Amino acid sequence: MKSYVLITGATGGLGKAFAVECASRGWPLYLTDLRPEPLELLAGALHRTYGVPVRWRACDLTDAGQRTALCEALRSEQARFGGLINVAGGDHEGLFCEQTSAQLRSIVRLNIEATIEMTHALLRLRDASETFRIVNVASLAAFYPMPYKATYAASKRFLLDFSLALRQELAGQGVTVTALCPAGLPTTPACIAAIEAQGVMGQLTTQNTGAAAAGTLDAALAGKAVYIPGLLNRLLRALGGLVPPTVVAWFIGRRWGAARRDLGNPAESSILVPEASPA
Amino acid sequence: MATNLTGKTIVITGATSGIGLATAEELTRRGAHVIGVGRSVGRCRAAEERLAALNPAARPAFCTADLALQSEVRRLAGEIRGLLAARGPAALDGLVNNAGTFTYWLALTTEGFETQWAVNYLAPFLLTHELLPLLAAAPTARIVTVSSESHAHTSLRWADIQLRRRYNGLLAYQQTKLADILFTAELNRRLRGQAPHVHAFAADPGLVDTPIGQKGTPELVQWVWQRRRDAGIPPAKAAQGIIALLDEGLAPRPDTVYWRHGQPRQPSRQAQDAAAAQRLWALSEQMCGTNNGSLS
Ligand SMILES: NC(=O)c1ccc[n+]([C@@H]2O[C@H](COP(=O)([O-])OP(=O)(O)OC[C@H]3O[C@@H](n4cnc5c(N)ncnc54)[C@H](OP(=O)(O)O)[C@@H]3O)[C@@H](O)[C@H]2O)c1
Repeated sequence: MKSYVLITGATGGLGKAFAVECASRGWPLYLTDLRPEPLELLAGALHRTYGVPVRWRACDLTDAGQRTALCEALRSEQARFGGLINVAGGDHEGLFCEQTSAQLRSIVRLNIEATIEMTHALLRLRDASETFRIVNVASLAAFYPMPYKATYAASKRFLLDFSLALRQELAGQGVTVTALCPAGLPTTPACIAAIEAQGVMGQLTTQNTGAAAAGTLDAALAGKAVYIPGLLNRLLRALGGLVPPTVVAWFIGRRWGAARRDLGNPAESSILVPEASPA
Repeated sequence: MATNLTGKTIVITGATSGIGLATAEELTRRGAHVIGVGRSVGRCRAAEERLAALNPAARPAFCTADLALQSEVRRLAGEIRGLLAARGPAALDGLVNNAGTFTYWLALTTEGFETQWAVNYLAPFLLTHELLPLLAAAPTARIVTVSSESHAHTSLRWADIQLRRRYNGLLAYQQTKLADILFTAELNRRLRGQAPHVHAFAADPGLVDTPIGQKGTPELVQWVWQRRRDAGIPPAKAAQGIIALLDEGLAPRPDTVYWRHGQPRQPSRQAQDAAAAQRLWALSEQMCGTNNGSLS
């Protein structure tokens, strides 16, 4: 990769793993996330450790105005891009009826709108001399209707279908699109608590973010359409595909209902849980 | 009772719990002026009160810093410089790099480093660099980095030294403890030319009854560590071994870097690899941005 790779959500758990993995491969980076302080720290450390150029710019991707400003800045800086990793995404804990309409809107804006717009903008700033790699972070949730995470899972379904379709549309134009569909990743205390509440199954299906990031980049370079980290997760996905969606929804509802009770109803809190809630 | 350590100024990281707290307590009893470091304001305040109750004349002080971050290590060093300057001639007689952590799931710091690599290894490397001018200003000074016998179970995986791609919490922990010994050996080699009155030691405290494996780890890990720590020695006993190394009564031996309970020991073959120590040093300088430092 000669040109910049843009990573959204770059200072979150999975975003950092992608940033470090790209830098360790010698790829120039352009990082974005909400807050400037962590971006500056990460960019500085990656630059001195791996010797790659690292640029960054803070942006609230749920805000259309700020997204436009970011894309304007990218254009005026005349950076050329060889890849885009759309990591920024999230969910709000809580049952559908407990979530505010502002929360629901922010899920759609971040997971869907921002991904579409960044993809659209970056394709115009691509370095035509190399294959352009797009990675969209979906989730295993993309494959299933998920009670308790209805909006989130459906937004991930959107990303999966969008990626598959775009990949076909741009085939032959030097663009690959890969959808990453991880099970729960142990990125935040809330995610870890949710994984541990699932007991042995949580342990077995959980992949470390570093391995997931490295595997995803290998899959992207190979032009793969979908990458699911973990053998067991791939197997579960294959089995899940054989069962009617209504049955899957019933089964997930049962398991998650139990896990939620174990956690003492996290619906009480209303934090924006970053990427990759357990699926 | 006046001892060799009475009136000495000693920085101890991770002094809010376990071995670090026990070391701070014993040093305070012996009249040393302890500057403790912890990551939680509340636990720092509690530890400071505890020390002050043991020996108010020793005037213990605490600084709060998250040693997982290099930016915090640098800020901490500035705070320590300030504390010392306010008390008289700015010199430091001892530094105990004790803070350590075990993380079951891979967690990257804000600066993108694996957390155990950052706290257990890079923080000692960088803090030593930052405080070296103060240590060199003392008539003699000691640097003790707390390692572990578990270093012997592994070698450095150069291709993925932070084990990001194939993370295993225990293996990552062991690597940091091996790196601590290699760092100490290379540090001594460099100090011989630049500041021969400063000497570094890597200490194995033995198996010690502390909560290190039970902070934010899964229940099973907590259960396993509880069984292990039940067989461990009390922190106060481990502290004795560290304090022995700070005492100028004990003469450092050339080419001996690894100690347990105040006695020199052979570390693993990997820990004695001088070429690996130099390679690790160069890599660490790059990671910490200390390429132009006094020890380069
Ligand atoms: N216990 C053993 O059997 C054993 C054996 C061999 C080596 N060691 C080594 O001995 C050293 C001390 O461990 P311990 O057993 O006494 O464990 P401990 O009781 O958990 O103490 C660790 C200390 O380090 C602090 N700390 C952890 N992460 C930090 C961070 N990011 N920034 C600042 N401070 C941080 C802790 O603060 P909090 O109080 O806030 O947690 C605590 O004060 C470690 O280096 C460990 O690897 C221990």
